[in-house]
Amino acid sequence: MPVKTPVAEGAQQPLAKQADAAFDVYATYQKISADDELSIPLVAILTLAELIEKSHAGTMFELVKELHEGAAVLEKRSPNPISLNAGCQLFIAFVTLFPHDSASFSDLKTELVQQARRYAAEGLTYRKKIAELCLGFIKDDSVILTHSYSRVVMQTLLRAHQQKRISVYVTEARPRSLGNKTYEALTAAGIPCAVVLDSAVAYVMEKVDVVLVGSEAIVESGGLINAVGSNQIAIIAKAANKPFYAVAESYKFHRLFPLSQYDLPSHKPDILSFTNPLFNSKPLTADAEHEDGITPSDISNADIHKARSVPLSISQEDIYRNNPDVDYTRPDLISLVFSDVGSLTPEGVSQYLVGMFAG
Amino acid sequence: MPAATNDVGTPASGPSSSTPGPANAPPSQKAMTKAERRELQERQRAAKAASKEQQPAGGSAPSRAQARPGPASASTPRRGPPPAINAPPRTPIAANGPQRGTPQRAGGSAGRRSSNAHDYQRTRASGDAASVAGGDDDPANRSRGLRIFLHFGLPKPKGHGIKGDIHPAIIRLGLQFSEFKICGANARCIATLTAFKTVIQDYVTPPNNTLSRHLMTHLSPQITHLVSARPMSVTMGNAIRQLKLEISDTDIDLPEQDAKDALCLKIDTYIRDRIIIADEVISELAGKKIKDGDVILTYARSSVVEKVLLRAHAEGKRFSVIVIDSRPMLEGKHLLKRLTSAPASSFPPTTMSCTYALLPALPSLISKVTTVILGAHSLHSNGALYSRAGTAMVAMLAKQHSVPVLVCCETYKFSEGIILDGFEKNELAPPLPQLRTSFPSTRPSSSLALEPKANLEILNPLYDLTPPSCVTAVVTEVGLIPPTSISSIPVALGRTVL
Repeated sequence: MPVKTPVAEGAQQPLAKQADAAFDVYATYQKISADDELSIPLVAILTLAELIEKSHAGTMFELVKELHEGAAVLEKRSPNPISLNAGCQLFIAFVTLFPHDSASFSDLKTELVQQARRYAAEGLTYRKKIAELCLGFIKDDSVILTHSYSRVVMQTLLRAHQQKRISVYVTEARPRSLGNKTYEALTAAGIPCAVVLDSAVAYVMEKVDVVLVGSEAIVESGGLINAVGSNQIAIIAKAANKPFYAVAESYKFHRLFPLSQYDLPSHKPDILSFTNPLFNSKPLTADAEHEDGITPSDISNADIHKARSVPLSISQEDIYRNNPDVDYTRPDLISLVFSDVGSLTPEGVSQYLVGMFAG
Repeated sequence: MPAATNDVGTPASGPSSSTPGPANAPPSQKAMTKAERRELQERQRAAKAASKEQQPAGGSAPSRAQARPGPASASTPRRGPPPAINAPPRTPIAANGPQRGTPQRAGGSAGRRSSNAHDYQRTRASGDAASVAGGDDDPANRSRGLRIFLHFGLPKPKGHGIKGDIHPAIIRLGLQFSEFKICGANARCIATLTAFKTVIQDYVTPPNNTLSRHLMTHLSPQITHLVSARPMSVTMGNAIRQLKLEISDTDIDLPEQDAKDALCLKIDTYIRDRIIIADEVISELAGKKIKDGDVILTYARSSVVEKVLLRAHAEGKRFSVIVIDSRPMLEGKHLLKRLTSAPASSFPPTTMSCTYALLPALPSLISKVTTVILGAHSLHSNGALYSRAGTAMVAMLAKQHSVPVLVCCETYKFSEGIILDGFEKNELAPPLPQLRTSFPSTRPSSSLALEPKANLEILNPLYDLTPPSCVTAVVTEVGLIPPTSISSIPVALGRTVL
């Protein structure tokens, strides 16, 4: 919504400056995220823990307010805020519900920081737990299809390789082409592997026994947000009656309920917008997505004149810029979600989330 | 007059002379069902009464028979193809008595209802006759198709009996319920609780009793009266259960007036927290799912959906609304009136653009819709939605076209039970004349109203059941929840009572 965004930004600007003056959240975030092992929600939690450590807040109310502000700054500056939000939301909920029995408020803050660091350390062990859990679902001599690169999927595959013979198809996963990274790591570990073009998933699906994908976030509907392409893999897997498993640490569970791809927080109106050669100069409104009630008779000569300035070829970068990073997979396409709290059905995920946040 | 005497009189005198079926081959008491046993008992009583009646002169028979309609009507079915089937409406009304507990005759406008009751009696009779005498008579076959709907709550006659000590506020409310003046689940719950506040304030604990123990016995007949006006809604049931809990929790040592004030305060809190504030939260949450350029479709009229749409509009979102409606209630028109008269949102100044269509037009409109937002009467613990008849069709069509379906439902509308379809439990919509139908038409609306005839029964179920698979998300005051997780909410909230 082009009209409203400047207003919203204007409202957030002073908050951001205020937080920056005391403590640069985003710089801390970037510093912590340099650690390759930490996933984004854990980085967010550690960042907010640092914020608490540096904070001068004297009451719980102030502290929670500062945390919200910090989370807002992170969200605004991060290119893809979904899993980051999951971490922030989890931590803020934890802080608000934390039993308030410390002697002084500074004690409470140290306690909270310690708890956060302990949680982050524990969070790193979740992948091992999930790998063990998945092991029972991967049969010997099975062919696994995975998508892009995911640390938890990697760990699961490497663990399965220790006991069972597996071979892995990995999608190339444009635009970031992280599938190549998966290929290199798996080949180095001695797992037979092949890179599949994103457009060849349906071709390869017949040979696949199990689809195993990581996730950016698991949402309240029981659905999955992951690197773009997961949804079509899930649809093809459903059509071919192959099980589609998602793996996610429980800190990736996110209180969000997308109704469609366009309902994701990462969706922007310019994603996959049409270039209309005749109306190139016209600012795009949300209405234009659905129907612009403009008839051909409205096209004036001036518009046709302008149309000539539209480039007829398009570069890879333009395509990437115009395309989404993540997509949403509906819960009915997912067979099971493996997490450190157990292997859950999509309904089980939503019940877990309701219990976690509604209580 | 003598003919009428015969009509009523003969069945009463019948059984004494010819007791068919069971009398010839008396089955053991144990083998009989409860109904059969009662039937037998009544028949025996009727036989006794009839044998006594044969002694006095025939002139007094009609009044005697009417004063004792139960045995007279209960005995009719046993006589094979009974004369009651073709009898004037007098007989069914008299027969009606024991069912309703009111011997009075229903008002003139209650023709449809009495014919419903007639049907009930007749089909029951024919069913019994069939089991006894093979049941090959035509009228019975004709009405057999409707037997499956007999359990639906029938709209009650206006002046149905007032039994016991009923508070005037409750009598008034009962009338409003039975005339569908107060109709929605939220409205009925709020009205009931408000009336109960008056009842509680006017209540005086009798001596040698405590409020916490006696008040509920005072409220029970009031509740019974309301239920007899129209079957209880799930919302009322939940609220009353909560009220009972509060009453029994009342401290015995509290002065009476203080206890009553405390209860009224609790009721106010309930209305505020569970309905009014909940609606506000729901309209905020659902409003987030409405974006510029959206086309929102809704069915009939729900107070919550109305709030959602008006709020989103007031926030300056530019979206259009399609209101789908259906006969006989045509409630969507009230919603339409509210939506179209909503003030233009301040920036940019636009009014809401609305489309009104009846249910048959839905398939041609659904492809343009981005989100379907529906209201709820209640939500069952398997996630099935119980709402105005027609909702299921809208939801199913939306699913077929991959349009997300949002259901706005406060948590106090959750029902612990599970029902499997719309037949199991339902109500009948009020007959048309009671409603102001003014859909554009070249003919007067009265000519559109079908009159029930001997071989025509008009069926207007009030509700239907939408399977959970057709609902994308339920918007409650605790957030958006997939219908499959509904059952975990009361647990998550730590509530034992919904």
